[in-house]
Amino acid sequence: MEIIDGFLKAVNGVLESSGILHLQWQNYVMIGVSIILMYLAIRKQYEPLLLLPIAFGMLLVNLCPEIMAAQETHLMTAEECIAAKGSIEGYSTTIIDGITYYDVPTYGGLLYYLYQGVKLGIYPPLIFLGIGAMTDFGPLIANPKSFILGAAAQLGIFITFVGAIFLGFTNAQAGAISIIGGADGPTAIFVTSKLAPELLGSIAIAAYSYMALVPIIQPPIMKALTTKKERSVVMSQLRPVSKLEKIMFPVIVTIIIALLLPDAAPLVGMLMLGNLFKESGVVDRICKTAQNELMNIITIFLGVTVGATATGTNFLKPETLKIILLGLIAFCFGTAFGVLFGKLMYKLTGGKVNPLIGSAGVSAVPMAARVSQKVGQSENPSNYLLMHAMGPNVAGVIGSAVAAGVLLSVIPH
Amino acid sequence: MDDFMSKVTTSATMLLTGFTVVFSVLILLILIIYIYGTIVTKAQQKGNKSKKGKLKENQIKEQDTSEKSVIQTDAANVYQSNEVPGEIVAVIAAAVDSMYGSDTKIKIKNIKKSGTRSAWANAGILDNTRPF
Repeated sequence: MEIIDGFLKAVNGVLESSGILHLQWQNYVMIGVSIILMYLAIRKQYEPLLLLPIAFGMLLVNLCPEIMAAQETHLMTAEECIAAKGSIEGYSTTIIDGITYYDVPTYGGLLYYLYQGVKLGIYPPLIFLGIGAMTDFGPLIANPKSFILGAAAQLGIFITFVGAIFLGFTNAQAGAISIIGGADGPTAIFVTSKLAPELLGSIAIAAYSYMALVPIIQPPIMKALTTKKERSVVMSQLRPVSKLEKIMFPVIVTIIIALLLPDAAPLVGMLMLGNLFKESGVVDRICKTAQNELMNIITIFLGVTVGATATGTNFLKPETLKIILLGLIAFCFGTAFGVLFGKLMYKLTGGKVNPLIGSAGVSAVPMAARVSQKVGQSENPSNYLLMHAMGPNVAGVIGSAVAAGVLLSVIPH
Repeated sequence: MDDFMSKVTTSATMLLTGFTVVFSVLILLILIIYIYGTIVTKAQQKGNKSKKGKLKENQIKEQDTSEKSVIQTDAANVYQSNEVPGEIVAVIAAAVDSMYGSDTKIKIKNIKKSGTRSAWANAGILDNTRPF
């Protein structure tokens, strides 16, 4: 009889601690959403490197919310402490109203600890280190005017900020939402973790979804804003860039941006350090590590923990729909401003610049540059715009980091 | 009404600040890149010109010392029968000379190609023996 009682108690205990009884309907919806995202990442290959860990983090946290639980300290009486832990030794005490309580700590979940890298703004700059080690700024150095297009494409960010303010978001939330227009995942996560951490899940998912949808979102805007003649412009070959210029570039950019916008220094500084590793050619091993192992490890941690912020109660709100809509507006405005400034440069240079390269200013390296190449080649099959589009594309990475610096310095956080 | 006006003020401030700062910083970068690009390119062009000048001088010197070079070529020819190019013989002889100094008289009697490692093996050794 005792055995059966014990067995029933044990089964009861297992059931009580399981998620089946504790999960809310929102968690089940989010489990469905995570499975759809996994399908999109695996089957459709939409940004799989990030979408897959994000989706799995989302699945984990909605099945087992404790995995993201923060560490806490419980105050227990001596009896409670002995019942729970078997001893009172080793615990500090707190006296309230003459009663002695023991401070019993409970440890946080695995993803809570990994999430500190996001919360403290550590992972995004490290991702930028890897991006810098993989990026060739040669096309930008050869044609520095590309910076104008990289700046123009950031204007969508500030237009969206206005929209978010009028939709009822706070200044900090509006700043975090608008950075989606930069089309740069690490920058979006960096800014959101500082301005509005409660929106991190929705903003990260919106940012990466739109980045994956660049080939679908951008071409109609590019075609609507340009004429056939403009799209057919063949640009002259870029001048060769010497090694010395490539080595000086990261040092100069770091000095200027860190001096003028210290808030952008972590992102731009790490980006340029990675690039200096690459261009100096003397730290081959470190460069390879930044490009591969380090970047991959951080991508796993970043993806899983950002996904784990999307709990049912956090994500299934009307605000999420607004964020997704505003993200799309930011992205479209960014593309449109890039193309419009490309048109301006076309006029000013007497038709030497193809306005299609302007859309690549929205960052999203190298996808946006590929889109410029593809749209240009559909008009003129012998036109190769890729290297010309890479200039505004990498300028967009620097531009979005500068825009992030502006948001962080203007909005109190 | 106050709330609306405060939203308008915040939005206008952000728009103005954002547009101005982003464009100013990036235009400043354009100027600096143009300036240092021009300086580096000019410096390298000068360097190339002086290199070309030196090359011409060397060619003239080579013509002047043609007798000496005949002797060196003869020496190299001995080793070329061993399939070691004359340039390699010259480099090895120069390295030995710089190590022992010109006071010591040294004869290089034989130079052999090892040639047992493949290019991949050489790359592997380089990769693993290069210092941190």
